[in-house]
Amino acid sequence: MKTDVAVIGTGLSALAAARTVQQAGRQVVLVWPGLSSLYFLFATIDVIGYPTATATESVADPAEAVARLITREPSHPYARAGMDAVHAGTRLMLEWFKEAGLAWQGALNRNFLLPTATGTPKPCCLAPASMTAGDLSRPEPIVFCGFTGYQDFAPELAASNLKRQWGAADVSAIRVTAPGYGPDRLFTSVDLARSFEDATFRDAVAAQLREHVSGDGARVGVPGVLGLTRPGETFAAFQEAVGHPVFEIPTVPPSVIALRLFDRLRKHLQEAGIEIIWAAPAHAAQVTDERCRSVLLKAAGHEFPVEAASYVVALEDWVDGAFRAGVHTVRDPFFHEPITWNKVPTDRTAESLFSTQPFEQVGYALTDRLQPADENGKPLARNVFCAGGAMAGYDPSGTKSRGGMAIATGYRAAREALAA
Amino acid sequence: MITEEFEPTTDTVEEEASVEACTKCTACNTVCPVARSTDIFRGPKALGPDMERFRSPQEAAVTPGLDLCSGCKLCEVTCPSQVSIQEYIRRAQNQGAREKGRSLRDWVLGRTRLLGRLGSMTAPLANFGNSNPLFRVLMERFVGIHRRRPLPKYQWLTFERWFKRHPRPVKSRRKVAYFYGCWVNYNDRRLGERAVAILERNGIEVVVPHQQCCGIPAVVNSNMDLARRYGQQNVRHLTPVAQEMDIVASSTSCGLMLKHDYGHLLDIPGSERLGAKTYDIMEYLWMLHEAGELDTDFQTVPMRLLYHAPCHLKSHGIGYPAMRLLRLIPGVKLEEVDEGCCGISGTFGVKVEKYDLSMKIGRRLFDAVKAAGSDYVLADCETCRMQVEHGAGATSAHPLEILAKAYGHG
Amino acid sequence: MPDTSTGVVVIGGGSTGAGVLRDLTLRGIEAVLVEKGDLASGTTGRSHGLLHSGGRYCVNDEQAAIECVEEGRILRRIARSTVEDTGGYFVSVTEEDHEWEPRFVEGCRRTGITCERLSLDEARRREPALSRQVRTVFWVPEDGHLDPFYLVVGNVESARRRGARVMTHTEVIGFLRDGDRLTGVRIKDSKTNEEASIACQSVINATGAWSGLVARLLGVEVKVVPVKGTMVVLSRRLAHAAINRCHKPGDGDIVVPGLSVSILGTTSAKVAHPETLPIEWDEVRRMIEEGAMMLDGVTTARAMRAYAGVRPLYDLGAEAEGREMSRNFAVIDHQVRDGITGFTSIVGGKVTTYRLMAERVVDVAARHLGVRTPCTTAEVPLNDREEPLDQLRHRPSLLGVPKPHGDEPPLQPLLCECELVRPQDVAPWLKDPAVRDLEDVRRRTRSGMGPCQAAICSYRLAARLVSDRGLDGASATRAMADFLETRWRGVRHVFWGSQLRNMQVTTGLHMELYNVDRELMLQHSPPPLAGEGQGGGRGAEPAEVGAQR
Repeated sequence: MKTDVAVIGTGLSALAAARTVQQAGRQVVLVWPGLSSLYFLFATIDVIGYPTATATESVADPAEAVARLITREPSHPYARAGMDAVHAGTRLMLEWFKEAGLAWQGALNRNFLLPTATGTPKPCCLAPASMTAGDLSRPEPIVFCGFTGYQDFAPELAASNLKRQWGAADVSAIRVTAPGYGPDRLFTSVDLARSFEDATFRDAVAAQLREHVSGDGARVGVPGVLGLTRPGETFAAFQEAVGHPVFEIPTVPPSVIALRLFDRLRKHLQEAGIEIIWAAPAHAAQVTDERCRSVLLKAAGHEFPVEAASYVVALEDWVDGAFRAGVHTVRDPFFHEPITWNKVPTDRTAESLFSTQPFEQVGYALTDRLQPADENGKPLARNVFCAGGAMAGYDPSGTKSRGGMAIATGYRAAREALAA
Repeated sequence: MITEEFEPTTDTVEEEASVEACTKCTACNTVCPVARSTDIFRGPKALGPDMERFRSPQEAAVTPGLDLCSGCKLCEVTCPSQVSIQEYIRRAQNQGAREKGRSLRDWVLGRTRLLGRLGSMTAPLANFGNSNPLFRVLMERFVGIHRRRPLPKYQWLTFERWFKRHPRPVKSRRKVAYFYGCWVNYNDRRLGERAVAILERNGIEVVVPHQQCCGIPAVVNSNMDLARRYGQQNVRHLTPVAQEMDIVASSTSCGLMLKHDYGHLLDIPGSERLGAKTYDIMEYLWMLHEAGELDTDFQTVPMRLLYHAPCHLKSHGIGYPAMRLLRLIPGVKLEEVDEGCCGISGTFGVKVEKYDLSMKIGRRLFDAVKAAGSDYVLADCETCRMQVEHGAGATSAHPLEILAKAYGHG
Repeated sequence: MPDTSTGVVVIGGGSTGAGVLRDLTLRGIEAVLVEKGDLASGTTGRSHGLLHSGGRYCVNDEQAAIECVEEGRILRRIARSTVEDTGGYFVSVTEEDHEWEPRFVEGCRRTGITCERLSLDEARRREPALSRQVRTVFWVPEDGHLDPFYLVVGNVESARRRGARVMTHTEVIGFLRDGDRLTGVRIKDSKTNEEASIACQSVINATGAWSGLVARLLGVEVKVVPVKGTMVVLSRRLAHAAINRCHKPGDGDIVVPGLSVSILGTTSAKVAHPETLPIEWDEVRRMIEEGAMMLDGVTTARAMRAYAGVRPLYDLGAEAEGREMSRNFAVIDHQVRDGITGFTSIVGGKVTTYRLMAERVVDVAARHLGVRTPCTTAEVPLNDREEPLDQLRHRPSLLGVPKPHGDEPPLQPLLCECELVRPQDVAPWLKDPAVRDLEDVRRRTRSGMGPCQAAICSYRLAARLVSDRGLDGASATRAMADFLETRWRGVRHVFWGSQLRNMQVTTGLHMELYNVDRELMLQHSPPPLAGEGQGGGRGAEPAEVGAQR
């Protein structure tokens, strides 16, 4: 099929790119080979949490920290996207969230400090409104609330860690029973989220909380399961019934908070008439005269060609299958070029799991316009642009910058695609 | 030898078995319509890739609850790692049925063509029986077909016989073979007539080659051997045709069988060549349009239309060509109703023990359809249309029928 | 840690030590087992888990083969629930193998191993994954899978029910002597560094590859040659039965189906220290290449991790090294040899013959103690309780069924979804003082041993450390991180294909959703539960000691 711009990917960078093209009034097709398994990492949009992968002091002003990073590391994906893209991309997304009915909060000049499910404070820039009451810059006491039989949020663990890390105020843990759920029942976060849409269920949980949480302005932290399809309503109703500020904490898997975000944005694009091609991973680019003529998708039975004036490749490197790692080489699905070569597979890893991993750094070498390039810096195709995890050196785990990098690079790649 | 395979130039792991790619991300469970609607279903992740590690020819490990998988394939559509989740479940279901035996009902439901032949031969009687409450009670009791499930009406004149009498166009640019499927043949000849009319209007001669049931009813009734037999017959009959022309199918699931499942799920040798030449009819018409060969001299069709994308259409990996086509027609107000699976999944929602589940799965869709209000709810798949009519009381149509209206046919 | 006293101190918590402990208690002798890591964390837990029919040794080591035959039959009786009775195949692939066949058949005949030649068609019918290169197939019904973790835990639990005590993560750092008579041991908790003494009448050194190091504390010599073997774990079972190459035992010639996985083994290389076990890429590659010669699917399955174990080959003074050395074991009565009363060592051997080894060494120790009760371990089953020991429980059939199917149990929630471990399988171990970290829980339950390598279940386990065991958050988080790190040490050696997908999920999850890397950075002092990884690791690189099965 034919279109102006084809965006290949499912994550936030792909969505940002598709939105950018749409806002520019051009036709866009989203090639969506499956719900990105990174969806559960996008509970919040982290622009930059720590200045380096090993710094322990969190960033107070993300915009300033990114600007400094750009000066320090000119080949960093943020530097390639540019500071303008960070600002414009963030603005674009916040406006989009609003238009799509997603209540989000935050701005580029400050970070929230929100407790994770292990109780560790984590800096993040933009967050759903249902999470921000957990901000640790506020002094009110926190009560973590878990559900009996629910294994993916442990209030005791979170409370114990936060008490030590934060120290400032009172932190405690309780467990309540969610009606119909218990240790003998098989259920997931999504089941709980659907139950929370039911007023009777919600009120039964809230009644227990009212009983356990005393009226001293305490905030209640619950796992992120407060509704799936109408999260705003469900959250507001629950908070009112509890009578205390409530905040959600992302869990995994499946992460309801991320699911809401991705589901809503996808539907919003579809409502605007943007076509999504499901279940057909891209597996070859047809390039002649330095231009990509079509990208072939592996559809049922035959190859499905998508012919676009330009393309944005916005795949996360491993989980979305942007690259395939053989024993010694890593190849990409479009140009089938070796992206990197390792004599021994162990060389792709660092000794500690929790440190910067060479395999996360793997990605396309890029031109200044974010075109995937060969080793001499020549673009592999002039009308293909790269965003997100498929960029070389894209490793947001240590600095907590996944969302910001996705948006900035997605926005910039889409602008380049529009200009091509 | 692995040493050669692992040489730097050829060391990709494309050949890794699909189950190995599962990262336990649980994306599949979040979209599974069955898991959403009942708490006795462990979900596609557990019954597919998780359990697959515990299955072997010696230990079938037929996991209880497998039969609740309706086969919508949304798990596969959603899987970021392209694990053929539903195929693993299907194989295990089949293994279970092979060991435990199948019920008479499932034996019958797997043989749509046989049913269709009987039904159309005795059309008035069959239709009377299928809509007679007393008969339906007996059917539920003795066969296991839920009494409230409306059954398709049979027609005396089959599409096959209609087409034999249909005059061939005098001149044509090219030929295409039509895989009409059991539904068009026995239940909805008019849809076939329209498909033929639309293709002929665009200068394409329609050929109707000898064909068998695509086999999907047999697959979903845990009879893969029967499905394979049907598939082999189709491959035998259609492969020579496919060498000369493309094949189009107007039923989503039939098309998917020909395109994909023959080669993957059923391992039918040689089926890839057939699959590569098979197109969904809307996909085909859109290709014509992009090639500048579609007659777009449409009449205005002033209608509010809702489009429900069948689950299996997503598995085609071709987007929604029907929506693209219909948007070319002046006057059409088209909206997508994106509320997931309708719940019927072929013969799944017909069964007495699964009817309620099937209606529960479809409730979101029914509510949305009722709330939106429209002239027609469009779906490429016949059982989706049956379910939407039954569940939401809406009038449904195949997108082709709107296209036919725009061409001035009926 | 208080000082205590007992009859016999058993050093070493592998299969031999566990067998010795049980044997002692069955003879009515009070005993304490002291293990510096966890049960089955040394040689036993890093074996490939093949229950040898004896076929592997029947040509070169007749004595070992005969012991395997007998012990295999005994184990099938007494340790039913730790044995998967899969049977095995000996397959010829090359011309050289072909020439070995008559010797193999003759060896089986001499040593009483049941062995039947199958036609290729019949063999492929039974085991469709046999490779096209296979030329001849022998069926050896008495090969099997012996789960090393359940075996050791089963023995220890049986002994504990009879009053024996177990101290894990406790190292023997010295001996108490009264002249030439041993009167006790000095021990140190390797997690808390607390020290104490256990007074006793006798000490049995069942530390396998570590025997020489333990004996040296007493100033006596036990010549054990530590020989490293590297193994690769594939993510699922490729064959139902064990597959052996029909040739002179060599590298990579066994594929063992172990519950949900296949294990390719193994290599053989002398090492300087039993804890210095680096995994080389060449070894990993060779395991896969050799395995692929016998079985289809070896190269297309996901290699999930690699690990290395150390064999305790006893140096009988032979020139030969590695495999050429005898697998036979020896009991060293140090009273006779070195004039030290109350110290006995058991060296050499293999997991399959652990019971016999235990019997022999306890015979000697008991004689010195004046106990005449005969050994009964060949008769009394490990699981002698009313309720089933339920050890190979990880089968789908136990997960409950949907309600319409009758009065069977409802769908059970899972803690580890890959290995089908239920919360109730884990709960009792969290209350056990011998279980000190999450690796210990893993060995007893298999949680974290599936394809996601603890990405999901580690949080659930850490949560239980706080709620069920009362640990503080820092310790529980550290335990979770240690668990993931230990898994990672095995994963990184087979890092291609889907492994990268999976580990990106793991790092993303733990570093981004939980921010665990910062939690670790911000923790100042390591809490008591944290360890140095498995196997003590003194003087060895953690990456080398840590690769567990």
